[in-house]
Amino acid sequence: MRSHPLFSPWLSLAPALTIITVLLGASLLYAIAESVGYISVIGQSQISLDAYRATLQLGSEFWTSLGFSLWINITSTAISSVLALLLAVWLSERRGNTDTLALNWNLAFPHLVWSVALLLFLSQSGLLSRWAATLGLITTPADFPVLVRDRFGIGVILSYIGKEIPFLTIIILSVLRSQSVGYDVVAENLGASRWQRLRYVTLPQVMPALLAGSLLVFGFIFSSYEVPALLGVGYPRALPVLALRFFLDPDLRARSEGMVISLIITLIVMVVAVVGLRMKDEG
Amino acid sequence: MTTINILSLSKTYPNSTAPVLKDFSLSIHDGEMVALLGPSGSGKSTLLKLITGIERPDSGDIQFDGSTILNIDPNKRGAVLMFQKSYLFPFLNVEENIGFGLKVQGMSSESIRAEVKRMLNLIGLPGIEKRKPGQLSGGEGQRVALARALVTNPKLLLLDEPLSSLDTSVRMNLQEAIRSIQRELGVTTIFVTHDLGEAMAMSDRMALLLNGEIVALDNPEALFHRPRSLAAAKFMGVSTFLDGDQLTVKNEACSSSEKIFAIRPEHIRVQKDGCENSMQGVVSDCVFRGEYVEYQVAVNGTSVRARMTMPAPMFPHGEQVYVNFPKEHLFEVEN
Amino acid sequence: MKYIFRALLYLILIAPLLLFAAYAFSTRWFFPQPFPVEWTTSTFQHAINDSRTLSSMAQGIWIALLVSVLSLILALPAARVLGLRQFRGRQLAWLLLFLPTIIPPLAIGMGLNILFLRIGLAGTITGVALAHIIPTLPYTIFTLSSAFARFDENYEFQALALGANPLQIFLQVTLRMLTPSLVVATLFAFLISWSQYLLTLLIGGGQVITLPILLFSAASGGNPATIATLSLLFVAPPVLVIAFTARQLNQHGNQIREQY
Repeated sequence: MRSHPLFSPWLSLAPALTIITVLLGASLLYAIAESVGYISVIGQSQISLDAYRATLQLGSEFWTSLGFSLWINITSTAISSVLALLLAVWLSERRGNTDTLALNWNLAFPHLVWSVALLLFLSQSGLLSRWAATLGLITTPADFPVLVRDRFGIGVILSYIGKEIPFLTIIILSVLRSQSVGYDVVAENLGASRWQRLRYVTLPQVMPALLAGSLLVFGFIFSSYEVPALLGVGYPRALPVLALRFFLDPDLRARSEGMVISLIITLIVMVVAVVGLRMKDEG
Repeated sequence: MTTINILSLSKTYPNSTAPVLKDFSLSIHDGEMVALLGPSGSGKSTLLKLITGIERPDSGDIQFDGSTILNIDPNKRGAVLMFQKSYLFPFLNVEENIGFGLKVQGMSSESIRAEVKRMLNLIGLPGIEKRKPGQLSGGEGQRVALARALVTNPKLLLLDEPLSSLDTSVRMNLQEAIRSIQRELGVTTIFVTHDLGEAMAMSDRMALLLNGEIVALDNPEALFHRPRSLAAAKFMGVSTFLDGDQLTVKNEACSSSEKIFAIRPEHIRVQKDGCENSMQGVVSDCVFRGEYVEYQVAVNGTSVRARMTMPAPMFPHGEQVYVNFPKEHLFEVEN
Repeated sequence: MKYIFRALLYLILIAPLLLFAAYAFSTRWFFPQPFPVEWTTSTFQHAINDSRTLSSMAQGIWIALLVSVLSLILALPAARVLGLRQFRGRQLAWLLLFLPTIIPPLAIGMGLNILFLRIGLAGTITGVALAHIIPTLPYTIFTLSSAFARFDENYEFQALALGANPLQIFLQVTLRMLTPSLVVATLFAFLISWSQYLLTLLIGGGQVITLPILLFSAASGGNPATIATLSLLFVAPPVLVIAFTARQLNQHGNQIREQY
């Protein structure tokens, strides 16, 4: 409370900082050690880049998974961003607290449970399929299109879109609501049409926040395990799924490869996050 | 009922070279109300922090009734502070707020209730025990804060600009209330303000603070009419200084060792004809203010500010006039 | 029109709950019947009487309680200086404390798995709780530091001058002033821990089974009624919390929500 010369803010920060840095630092060190084959559990202490070589060699499953992950990522992020932007603009013209309650509501359903809901709703014997059959559109479950656990990750993408639209909408909406209506009125007064106002007034205002939010979403999806593990197929697998399967493999050489993939994911996510946070600060 | 002695107190904040207080000494009698008047940064608030114990001095001593309080914990000193904002705890009602100091001392809730009731009567707001701070007006909030400070029977009451966020009428009202309650309870009080009028209206003695030092200390009347130093005179609203020998108008403070005389603006006469102790000048401004007229007259290249109560003559801009400095109103100040 | 819109909105919001309820409380619901025809609570009763379900819930609650209390204790002093003080290295402290939001739980969990195996924390409740603190702590610190940034220390000085000792000030003034944020921070630390799958899997290693672990394995090949029942049990705490705190969430930052 008093500004005593001996009192340092670092003293107060020490417990939290120690926990975080020790746990994070140690886990990263062990991850790197394991990725270069230094597996102390079995006493092997030779450092080698075999796991990296095996992972990155042409034709390995890593590249398929990377492609699949990027496909899921780019599609979900892009669709969520566009839809969130439209939703936010539409909501910003209305007033009321119902929207924020509704948008926060998705927090009540963690990704895991949200994916389970989609599974029950969209699978071939799921609720939607039953409704389609009732309407006479299909006759057997097999007639229903494969929307979850499908080759193209449609279920995974749908799951992410459902969770990320509210997240991004809140970000955009808070920018739109913090801005005064003045600019819009001025632009309208100067003769701009509704579309022109959206294009030249609204969009530039929300762009930094939207980009930053999209990058955060991208980083999250890229490293997230539950959704693709639950709604994906055996091949192609998303990168985190591949990493974890390798890591939990009884064969200890596979463990190293799992670590390598996880470190590559970390690297990519961190680069994206840093870019995203910087944009956010500037925006 | 306490005598306060502040003895050559010095304080320099870390990361700063200029001291906030240097060799600051002040004695306050039992039951006296002393106003500390000074611009922001003059060290007023630091002094209060040192007395309450929020900060520690680099050197010097603070004594209550002759014994030092520097080694006493802040919460045991009996020096209670009241701020510009009431800082009533928003989660407590008026009764619990006023009773806070008694409760932390461990007083029984019945005694607390009785004490709170007594204080509410004293501040003229009986029966508002159950109200929340959010339901009080600014003036009421400050009254309750005053009651909360006084209920613990403090040795010293410290008021840190307690009225400066209030409207003028509420403010006048509270000035009187604080002054009469303070007299009634006889609590020794230090009152910090930057408002000259408020300081004069409320205090037994006024201390003028500049850059961590007291430049003048006296009762309000003496300080108003006969400030002893140039700095004090300026503080008290004097802007005209005369060179002792030639009776010429001085611009700013002069560095020479000559005698300097000062005169209050309301004692300067502006008139058409010259007489003894007068100088010729040109009217640069003449403003009708209702109860008085304010003049700016250019004399020998400097501007003399004068103020004459009605009825007073109005002069057009550029008029040749004489500015008269009556001898009986001139007083000598130290540079 | 407005009411129709609102009704539709709320219907969409509770749709997942309705879906789970339909599967959990129905029986002999065959394709292609569009809605359940026969209702029963037997699946649900069976599930909540199953010792595996009960122990997973008990473990989850215990871990989540431990995590929220520990996060709060660790976060309070840190949040205070971050919210109220300007000092050299403040940016660095923020950066370090927010690293967990940037580094994927996947990598953290895999590294910790090896570390905890070595020091004997793998497969223990302590180990899992310690791992859960990594994602909860940044959120708790963020929520509390923005509360401290709005906090005026003069309330504490006032209490001090009125004779309160430091403990009395902390309990009767500081904590009381921060109560709304403390509640939000604690609830969310609880929820983040409660719904944590990956870290629990990697650290618990099959020894510490919480509800998400059970749900995940059921969803990978169980029957829909069990899946739906576990889902209902799993979302009950978050649904209740969000329903009651949604208003407050607006005032708090939600940049860490993505963790959850």
